Amino acid sequence: MRIDARHLLDRLGRNDFAYKEFEDRFTELELWPMFEALLRDPRLQMLDAAEGMTPSAPKEEVTHVAPAEPFGALFNRYGRSGEDAESPPSERRGAQPQDVRAMLRHLSDLGSRGEI
Amino acid sequence: MPVIVCHALKGGAGTTFMAAHVAMALSESGAEVTMLTMARRDSLPLHFGLQPALTLPSLYAPTEDAVVAAGIDLRSHVRAAEDPDFIPSLRDLGFLETGMDRVLVMDVPAGDTTFARTVVPHSCAHLCVVNATPDTLALTPQALDEATPENLLRTSFVINALDETRRLSRHAAAFIRELVGPRLLGRVRLDESVPEAIASLQPLSRYAPSSAALSDARAVGAALLPMLDRPGKPWTARGPQSASSASRAA
Repeated sequence: MRIDARHLLDRLGRNDFAYKEFEDRFTELELWPMFEALLRDPRLQMLDAAEGMTPSAPKEEVTHVAPAEPFGALFNRYGRSGEDAESPPSERRGAQPQDVRAMLRHLSDLGSRGEI
Repeated sequence: MPVIVCHALKGGAGTTFMAAHVAMALSESGAEVTMLTMARRDSLPLHFGLQPALTLPSLYAPTEDAVVAAGIDLRSHVRAAEDPDFIPSLRDLGFLETGMDRVLVMDVPAGDTTFARTVVPHSCAHLCVVNATPDTLALTPQALDEATPENLLRTSFVINALDETRRLSRHAAAFIRELVGPRLLGRVRLDESVPEAIASLQPLSRYAPSSAALSDARAVGAALLPMLDRPGKPWTARGPQSASSASRAA
């Protein structure tokens, strides 16, 4: 039981509540064809146009420093092996179409490490 | 003045809620915040505990007509999308040039996609509010395809109304998290306190100070703070507002 849940129940003086943690089972992601369809959508590949682009100053006064990794690279990494996923974004350009199973493995790893 | 544009892929995502609470978080961080809504059917006042019959003053209305809640100047400009002089007007009013502790938060309706594309280049950040639902996910490729690369560079995401007790919701959130990576500023959990606060005509911070959604929304506001910086000119607040100022919600 999570410590915050335990504290809450202690404060309420109730110990007879049913408690359930909703653990993610990332392998079940494969049950949703929409995820695979989205990852294969060619329009997402067009985001490579933003890759390597330096954020320009806003048209008026304001400037935002954008994250270094472009969208295209984010999508591309799903199609790479675990080692490739460690490589810098610039080395992942031109990745092959996404492998949903690789993405699921990655999600599962994150889940097992408690990072997601 | 840094400008933050709040705009969603589709209606009903909770953009107004997020915009209001981002504005409140920035105000609590010491910013002088003006909030501008472009929605014709506007629910913004409700998130500040104001009466539903209240009509917000125009962007161009004099100071004496201002509606100030939680220390935030609430304004409306429903014709902004058709106003060719909107951006020059913002400049003329000093919204784009003045003090670094001033912030303009815009609530742009989901349907005004063309207007959003026009205004985002003038912003320091575009906060895209999404729900962890399949219909929102299905719209993502189209929305990203329509966005310019320059606008995408300014875009960050927040998952709103996340129900972690639902399997599909959790999976969709995990998918979004992987998809956008560090661009995801956070998630706001589904919380019945939000509509209850509106029904009680109270701001969420007063109705349910321990609300999960309130805590999450504050975290998103804090995550936005670094985006207010300009190269060589870090954004600086005047310091946290006093409790009396922060509780000025009408």
